Amino acid sequence: MLRLQFLGRTGTVIDDLLNDFLAETAEILGDAGGALVAWEADPVDRAQLDAIFRLVHTIKGSSGFLALPRVTALSHAAEDALDQVRRGNRPANAALVTGVLGIIDRLNIVCAALGKDGVEPAGDDSDIIAALAEQDSTTETGYEVAGVQLRRDDDFQAELQSWRSIRVPLPLLDSVMTGVTDIVLARNEFARMLRDSCASPTVIASFDRLSDSIAGMRQSVSQMRMQRIDKLFAPLPRIVRDLAQDMGKKIAFQTSGGEVELDREMMENIRDPLIHIVRNAIDHGIEALEDRVAAGKDITAIISVSARQSGNQIEIEIRDDGRGMSPDELVAKAIASRTITAAEARTLSAKDKLELVFRPGFSTAAKITEVSGRGVGMDIVKANVEKIGGVVELRNDEGRGLTILLRVPMTLTIISGLMVRAAGQYFAIPRGAVREILLENGDTVRIDRVGGGEWATVRGEQYPLLRLETVLGREASDDDDVDDRALVIVRPGQGQSYALSVAAIHDHEELVIKPAAPMIMATGLYAGTTLPDNGRPVLLLDVQGLVAAAEIDATETGRNHDQMAAAEAQANAARNAAQLLLFRDANGRVRGVPLSVIERVEEVPASALFESAGRVQAQIGDEIFPVHTANLPDAKGSLKLLRLFDGQSVLCYPIAEVIDIVRLPDAVQPSAVPGLIAGVVLVSGEPVELIDPFWLMAQYAIETATPVLTQLLCRLADDHDGWGDNFLAPILRNAGYRVVSGDDAADEAPNVLLCLTEDGASCVHIGDEIPVIRLRSAVAAAGPDDETVYRYDRQALLDALARRIGGGRA
Amino acid sequence: MEKLYLIARIADTRVALRSRAINSVVTVGIPVEVPGAPPHVAGLFALRSRVFTLIDPHVVIGLPPVPVAAGQRVIVVDVADHGYALLADAIEDVCFIEAPETRVAGKLLPGWARVADGMIEHQGASLLVVDPSHFVTLPVMKAA
Repeated sequence: MLRLQFLGRTGTVIDDLLNDFLAETAEILGDAGGALVAWEADPVDRAQLDAIFRLVHTIKGSSGFLALPRVTALSHAAEDALDQVRRGNRPANAALVTGVLGIIDRLNIVCAALGKDGVEPAGDDSDIIAALAEQDSTTETGYEVAGVQLRRDDDFQAELQSWRSIRVPLPLLDSVMTGVTDIVLARNEFARMLRDSCASPTVIASFDRLSDSIAGMRQSVSQMRMQRIDKLFAPLPRIVRDLAQDMGKKIAFQTSGGEVELDREMMENIRDPLIHIVRNAIDHGIEALEDRVAAGKDITAIISVSARQSGNQIEIEIRDDGRGMSPDELVAKAIASRTITAAEARTLSAKDKLELVFRPGFSTAAKITEVSGRGVGMDIVKANVEKIGGVVELRNDEGRGLTILLRVPMTLTIISGLMVRAAGQYFAIPRGAVREILLENGDTVRIDRVGGGEWATVRGEQYPLLRLETVLGREASDDDDVDDRALVIVRPGQGQSYALSVAAIHDHEELVIKPAAPMIMATGLYAGTTLPDNGRPVLLLDVQGLVAAAEIDATETGRNHDQMAAAEAQANAARNAAQLLLFRDANGRVRGVPLSVIERVEEVPASALFESAGRVQAQIGDEIFPVHTANLPDAKGSLKLLRLFDGQSVLCYPIAEVIDIVRLPDAVQPSAVPGLIAGVVLVSGEPVELIDPFWLMAQYAIETATPVLTQLLCRLADDHDGWGDNFLAPILRNAGYRVVSGDDAADEAPNVLLCLTEDGASCVHIGDEIPVIRLRSAVAAAGPDDETVYRYDRQALLDALARRIGGGRA
Repeated sequence: MEKLYLIARIADTRVALRSRAINSVVTVGIPVEVPGAPPHVAGLFALRSRVFTLIDPHVVIGLPPVPVAAGQRVIVVDVADHGYALLADAIEDVCFIEAPETRVAGKLLPGWARVADGMIEHQGASLLVVDPSHFVTLPVMKAA
């Protein structure tokens, strides 16, 4: 067991976690006790039961990673019993409630000792766990429910005092926040009155001083509530490690974005969801080792948790590379557990199917494990995240992994907002996202309507134009004055901007943002609600969400056409200019070759080079190319080859490395004699030898084959003994002819017929259209008119071919 | 307390709501509309510096929405830590009903079947017992 006492002295993360756990548990146990009694009175109340179940489950979850075996065992027993009730396997009766209350009492005792000593006291809880387990058989209740002693408030006080660290309860922090909020609102109102009252400058000056210090205070309070998300991630590695060990899985865990700051209250609310998701990923998502091997995956699974700020929201992404979720399996389980009917299942879309995991009591695990429990996680996750105005998104890649995205607002605190009007009602825009405000019919603004879309051009910069009424699906109000219409240039995120057209700009105000109801957040149009001092709620627009809703491309890249055209022209010009590839050759000299003759740079193993007929050749893929080098390279490993291409043939030129691509300087100092080096140029003040591709290709031109289509076709006739195929055909092919043999009826008429027998019976009927060359086996010609060619006279044969039909090469 | 019910007319039907589920009954002014929200969201209103989402039960049941009149009474409920208010046609009474809740034996309109928990006998009439949270969390019925 972990010695918390020792760790406590060193003031580690675990110490903090323990304190958090104790505070939370004390609170939960208080709630659970009350809820249990209420539920006992009305056992059909499913919501109450679910609530208690979740409370107990939370304790179990938190205690698991703090290594508190007694607490875990106790809460597990209670959870188990409650789950039996949830599943209808066990009646909800007084006996059960008494048993669970017994466990809650014991948990209280254990936690009190834990708070005092920093270690879980030794003891045996099997008595009350057994009592709870046995009670399903007994119908009589032996206990008086009312007699069970619940945690008393003064106990709780004592517990609080025994902890070393100072904890500021969130409610206190909240009340400070609310106080500041009220001050800010009062200041706003006061400022408005002061403006209207033509007060003396001294009054205004001292009001401004007050105003500044209020602003400073607001800032500090907001900061007080902000915390690095690191703190949220801190317990995760340990959870992953322990769980992975327990379950015999290998998992690499990574976090990123720990520097992102988040409101403390948000943090509290997503801590449990995050832990649930990670546990679920390990337990259900990551396959067993052998399954991973079978699926062709790396044995070590990867779970990554990353946070990033996106406008006024924080996105936390939990990604695993496990098996993902199977929509069909989810449906099958949902039907089996009577969560949905088969008829309902048929109407579900793929997305709906995945979202079945958010139904209460839904379990994705084939079997119940102690680790992540019974799939209870996901409904709690969703509830917790939605409570703070967040959204849970599933990105399933069946067989390859699951990504869960939690998107929560960064803060519930005050932001500076711009109030705008559209469709006869007010909306707020976060001031931070507003870059500029312009009157729509001002001189600096030009609005173009093209193909159903609208663009605003402001001082030469073009923005896609959104009309707020249109995005919200409303008509412009008749009361609006066209002259009031304004453009708000909004920058929702890095590299994005658009112009939002609104009916009127109202004013700036410090706004206290609260999350809106989940179904309103789900529209993606709003980031929350706020209550300005006129008492009418106002919706805060989600400036990023508007982009998605309007389906516009708000990215700034390539926005400006003039600039784009100029850039393109420049790029073209640069491309057209002769460019020089600088490289270091095998001997370490810097040389250059015009880029246009290079087909590509190949990297081949040294073994791909071989020597043949005094020439070095390279095998690349299933082709063989000549290589310009005298010797086979000694080096093992791989080497780089420049592939020069003249439109017909390829030559490889070995290099050590590519250095750069530069513009070919105009001034070339030509070399005196034609050769490999065409001349010398100065590149950045250094002389560079320029390779002459013309000369180079000429050296190897003989080696290369003429392109297939222009090759002439020789037909071998009367090749009775296979001599033609075995002896003649290779020579002909080598000389650049194509060869068909035998008497097979070729589709293509041959360009020439080679008769391998002197009498050439079958060659007679061909006629005159196709030239015929007859081969003889005698060395000497039969007479001066004998046009036959001795069959081993290679040169004479090739000459005869060239004479008759051309083609081939000397 | 457990037997205390709020009798109200919701979506043209007399229902009994368990008082435990209800936060309060208040009157509202003209709510603030929420463009783009699902059809059963009738708007937002503020109450004691909290913003509440107004739900039109008519739409949840599958009936056409009704306009919100100023001074209309609404039933305030908390669901998953968010404040909601159900538009009520009329609030009739708050009373103890000793009769037990019974299960819905007959056939209800599909919209009601989804929100009704049971039935209860009160002063010679049968009332549907509904859970107000169902009006909030259930997806909206397509209007016939």
